[in-house]
Amino acid sequence: MKDRPITIAKIDSGIVIDHIPAGKAFLISQVLGLNALARKTGDIIAIGINFESQSLNKKDIIKVENLSLTRNMLNVVALIAPMATITRIENGKVIEKHKVEIPDRVGDVVVCPDRFCITNHEQVPCKFVIVENAPLTLKCHYCETEFFGPLIRYKERN
Amino acid sequence: MNFEGRDIISMNDLTREEIDYILSRVPEIKNHPNKRILCRDKISAMLFFEPSTRTRTSFEVAMRNLGGKIGGFYDANITSAVKEESLWDTVKMHDGYGFDVIVIRHPLKGAARVAAEAADIPVINAGDGPNQHPTQTLLDLYSIKETQGRLDGISIAMVGDLINGRTVHSLTEALLKYENCHLIFISPRDLAMPRSIIDKCNRASNERGVSFVEASRIEDHISQVDVLYMTRIQMERLQERALAEKFRSIYRLEAAMLGDAKLNMKIMHPLPRVTEIAQDVDQTPHAYYFQQAKNGLLVRETLLALILGAIT
Repeated sequence: MKDRPITIAKIDSGIVIDHIPAGKAFLISQVLGLNALARKTGDIIAIGINFESQSLNKKDIIKVENLSLTRNMLNVVALIAPMATITRIENGKVIEKHKVEIPDRVGDVVVCPDRFCITNHEQVPCKFVIVENAPLTLKCHYCETEFFGPLIRYKERN
Repeated sequence: MNFEGRDIISMNDLTREEIDYILSRVPEIKNHPNKRILCRDKISAMLFFEPSTRTRTSFEVAMRNLGGKIGGFYDANITSAVKEESLWDTVKMHDGYGFDVIVIRHPLKGAARVAAEAADIPVINAGDGPNQHPTQTLLDLYSIKETQGRLDGISIAMVGDLINGRTVHSLTEALLKYENCHLIFISPRDLAMPRSIIDKCNRASNERGVSFVEASRIEDHISQVDVLYMTRIQMERLQERALAEKFRSIYRLEAAMLGDAKLNMKIMHPLPRVTEIAQDVDQTPHAYYFQQAKNGLLVRETLLALILGAIT
């Protein structure tokens, strides 16, 4: 294998989201609102794309120099990257490492695909119940439409 | 079981036990000696963002029959909605006016749920676009129970436009909460029951002994069923007018077709009917659709009385 020495520097305190399928890091960053977090706090966020991985062949990785993201908030990553792992680091030491879990509900990160749903006409924050994990199937809290696959579109957040 | 202050937004929020409880309270309201004063001093806000005939009138009469009053609007064009006021704000404002309950109809799916979240007082969904119309489903269930004596094990054929008809989706989902029902979905292929409902039937077939078939001819099934639930072929939903005309002529029930029907078989329809039930059917003992509409009044009275705490 060709030596490819590009790495993302270690962080002293923060969260590492690893084992993201290649190409999904920007989407996850968008769903978690990392851009806004960085703007607000001045913390560094590093996004690595196409790193070598034994289990995934190619993977993405995100390092967030901030500890405010809770386990619940991070579970939304499981919708996009079910195999992702979260490592929490404080003062250079790993204090917690776990796999993401598909949550029972998600908030205003997904768009309801039903054009007759009230959430697509008025400023109502979306809410969804996860009705099945495989295939990942969501049900709109308001219009009760169930949808999966390419109909799951994530909200754009800056 | 206590329904005082509770929202009625979707049949999916109600368990079988809760449905049974609501239906069991209907006779009490029907014969209540003090019915005319049960909801005295109570006011219902009628927020009708789109037209309605039966639902609106029956809610109005139901409230008056219980001694209550009504306010609100029946045409969103005369409200601040034309000034682009949000649904949330419109509901919030009515919530603060001292009403005791809100009855809402809106063209968009999920609107009633938003209203329930905006309001402190209870909200009854009188139809949110093509999504839910729980009082219609409750009156359908009441009518079935009234005529057949049970909901478990009934055999029902739903006929017509099954893809667009919200009443048949909701009724099917409600019957899946009961045991051993036999459902027959009769429609042209273009208007067949949506896959999501068929999937739910498949799941219920293992859990609750539900059986179902999809079919194309009414005549083949009339003799087997306890209930024949007819629906309108919605002209506005079909691109080709000629196709709608063709479906309407095929899915049309006439008195002559009822020779082999069971004695207890009743024909129901959410109304309005167009051509799918010939007028000669009205004279047969199987016709039940006008009584069914009348039951709607009783069911809405019961629901209002329960939610307003006039009965328990």
